Amino acid sequence: MAGLDLKDLRKNYGTVEVIKGVDLSIDHGEFVVFVGPSGCGKSTLLRMIAGLEEITGGELWIGDRLCNTVEPRDRGIAMVFQNYALYPHMTVYDNVGFGLKLAKTPKAERDRRIREAARILQMEHLLQRKPSQLSGGQRQRVAIGRAIVRQPEVFLFDEPLSNLDAALRVETRMEIAKLHQDLGTTMVYVTHDQVEAMTLADKIVVLDRGVVQQVGSPIELYQRPANLFVAGFIGSPKMNLLPATVDAVEGDIVRVSSRDLAATAIRARSDGLKKGDSITLGVRPHALVPNQNGNVVGQVALVERLGNETNVSVRLPGGTPLMVVLDGDRALRLGESIILGFDPAQALLFDQSGVAREPL
Amino acid sequence: MSKAGPIVGGIAAIVISALVFLVPFAFIILTAFKDRAQAAALDFTWPASFNLWTNLVEVVTTRNWMLVTAFINSTILTVSSVTLLVVFAAMVGFILARRKSRWNPLVEFLILAGLMIPPAVVPTIWLMQGLGLFGKLHGLVLIEVAYNLPFSIILYRAFIATIPRELDEAAIIDGARPLDVFFRVILPLLWPVTVTNIVVQSVGIFNDFTNPLYYLPGNQNATVQLTLYNFQSQFNTSYNLLFTNILLITIPPLIVFLFFNRQIVAGMTAGAVKG
Amino acid sequence: MTALTVTESATRKGHPAGARRRSPYPAWFFLPAAIIYGVLFLAPTFASLYFSLTRWTLFNSVFIGLENFVQFFREPFLVQGLVNTVIYAVITSGLKVMLGMLLALLLTSNIIARGYLRSVVFFPVLVSTVGVGITFTVLMHPTQGMINEGLALLGIDGPGWLTDPRLALISVALVDVWKGVGLATVIYIAGLVAIPKDYYEAARIDGATRWQNFWYVTLPLSRPATATVIILSFIGGLRTFDLIWAMTRGGPGFASDTVASVIYKQYQAGFYGLSTAGNVVLFVLIAVLVVPLTMFLNRKQGHE
Repeated sequence: MAGLDLKDLRKNYGTVEVIKGVDLSIDHGEFVVFVGPSGCGKSTLLRMIAGLEEITGGELWIGDRLCNTVEPRDRGIAMVFQNYALYPHMTVYDNVGFGLKLAKTPKAERDRRIREAARILQMEHLLQRKPSQLSGGQRQRVAIGRAIVRQPEVFLFDEPLSNLDAALRVETRMEIAKLHQDLGTTMVYVTHDQVEAMTLADKIVVLDRGVVQQVGSPIELYQRPANLFVAGFIGSPKMNLLPATVDAVEGDIVRVSSRDLAATAIRARSDGLKKGDSITLGVRPHALVPNQNGNVVGQVALVERLGNETNVSVRLPGGTPLMVVLDGDRALRLGESIILGFDPAQALLFDQSGVAREPL
Repeated sequence: MSKAGPIVGGIAAIVISALVFLVPFAFIILTAFKDRAQAAALDFTWPASFNLWTNLVEVVTTRNWMLVTAFINSTILTVSSVTLLVVFAAMVGFILARRKSRWNPLVEFLILAGLMIPPAVVPTIWLMQGLGLFGKLHGLVLIEVAYNLPFSIILYRAFIATIPRELDEAAIIDGARPLDVFFRVILPLLWPVTVTNIVVQSVGIFNDFTNPLYYLPGNQNATVQLTLYNFQSQFNTSYNLLFTNILLITIPPLIVFLFFNRQIVAGMTAGAVKG
Repeated sequence: MTALTVTESATRKGHPAGARRRSPYPAWFFLPAAIIYGVLFLAPTFASLYFSLTRWTLFNSVFIGLENFVQFFREPFLVQGLVNTVIYAVITSGLKVMLGMLLALLLTSNIIARGYLRSVVFFPVLVSTVGVGITFTVLMHPTQGMINEGLALLGIDGPGWLTDPRLALISVALVDVWKGVGLATVIYIAGLVAIPKDYYEAARIDGATRWQNFWYVTLPLSRPATATVIILSFIGGLRTFDLIWAMTRGGPGFASDTVASVIYKQYQAGFYGLSTAGNVVLFVLIAVLVVPLTMFLNRKQGHE
């Protein structure tokens, strides 16, 4: 039984700090996804857990062991790499069994475990092939097989799907989800693809510039992003962020408006807010609907008709672009004037430091 | 006309190249077949009688089968030097390509220095005498390794840089220690350059004359190149035997050339361009 | 020091033993190579700097300052060795560049029997230098040698290639070119093949003649190969010993002596200090000529 505990974990390259104190607790059996833009430190953090990067500061606990200086082979982890990293000169059988061979596992036991992994991944027929004779999807499967035979307490995945084509990616994603269900082990998964994050994760960790921005379930992150970064990163198309000004604060009701936005009252945590403050109103493209009494008016600038929904890009008087996703197929003319409204309960306010003012 | 050009040019090139490059080899072969009297004329003529076998027997058995000893010595020298070169150069190339450290510029400098600087002969002899390596075959093996390391390292480093680092990391996670990573994962993957290295270095070391001359005096451990050099004065009047000897020591490189032509050319050009 | 502190603080906090993890790329991998190279190459090189300043019997040495070097630059036959070395290097590398380029152009064109020609040109590279030397000594025999007999058929009275003091060095250099031009050719072939076809097509659209093609496209774009051939054959030429020793032993007289053959002769004669001074001279000669040459050739290359 092994969860993970990261306590103020830090990583410097010389004077450059790339991981700036990460605190994170992962329960046994949880599927955790690290997500963020490239260069945010998500892969570095994963490699620190794996033991491929030295830990500069803080503590890494795997289960009840402090693992800062433990060799990778002794951490009870297995890792799947982005480019598979299969040994080109070994057959699939030897690739999967390499770790066991190094650990001097008896031959019979080794053979049993290799075949067991092959059965789970339905690749028994591939065992005698060399990696060069495999397709991308099959290689990924072997890489996962190599991880399974180690019977790790924690699986680590470093962007495992990004070298696969779109169709195969969806398929393999589902297989990984099933693998997690079957094995029930802790899995840590790094990706820059938010769809992968949303579909696979029990818990998403959003990282930016070496700092954890938010930790939560996929729906929490979608509905209640903690700050502007998460709001902009999770959800597709991105959440609209409209600059506005506070007109009045009445208890937990904040009234805001701007050139693009008629007066709107939103429930929010209002401490410290006062009339005249700049504020950002966030509203998801899906929350906007045409409404003659709506509080946003603009001109249709671009229409993408997808059949089941229609993406409309609207130009507001202040120049801010607004993305709207409408249900069904709508025939809109370019330049046409459009009035949109939204349920204030689905909008969020962000103060000047970018922190979400969620209602308590 | 546009078709005739390459053909006429080609025929001219074949004739000229044959004259310049093949006639000397033909001369070696013809002379090796002749008897002593005909060979002494140094002519480019057909052998009056075919004496290759008698010539061979005489060359091989002369001076108490010295040529056989020499072939054995040259084989030991070549095989052991190349083996050590391959392993040690690959190890250096591996660390040099993988680990960025402040020692790297120094190592790179030493590699270039090794390619350029002529070895200091007498101090080397003095040092080898002190270490008990002078005049010993294993001493010469170490000399060949020392002098040829830079070239081999350059060949290896360039190739290792193209092997993805994730392979090392996958092996580390699989529980491989540094020696496992190197010998079980990296070294097998280096096989193409290793072949190049083996071929290029073994031809060079087998043909080496200068270093055996300096560091391996004495008849009982002569190499084939030294033997040929010594026969030059001994067989001054028996050109048939001298050229039989030349023919014999040209055979190993010829075999290598026939089988590994491509690797030799690739290795020599790659090493040269990078060096 | 740092590692020690880490270990201490780690143990205090109750970290597992053996705190700092070892690198997967340990520096001791350098060790076998470093020891062999250091002991058998570097150490003698440094030692030579001292012993070149001594009168030396291998058992004891007497410091005599720069006397060996003075002798090296005063004795006419030693000075001639120095001059010969430079002449030899210039002739061989110059001819190898020109002939190598020419042969490479020929062997990358659509000529017939290309594979055969490449093999024939390259094979001498792999043959024993001593064997080549002996063979050509016979071929260059002034009266019976095949070369002069061939020339006689054309009505030409061939010279004493290796017996004429004015010719001996050049004759050996020509044999060196015969043996080594194959390597220059394959290096050039690699360089020529790497030139993208687009340049030739663009030049053709611009209406370039074959000569212009060569002058403005091939020559500048094969500059890296040229640099390699020049530097490689120049260093080889300066260090050359085996071919000269197999063919003339520096003779007639001292006519074809080079620094490398002088080093060997002085060693044989037991003048170990002088021999080592010759080594230092050769080392300095290479450094003085090759380092600026390399920088010059590489600067031009970076200019493109």
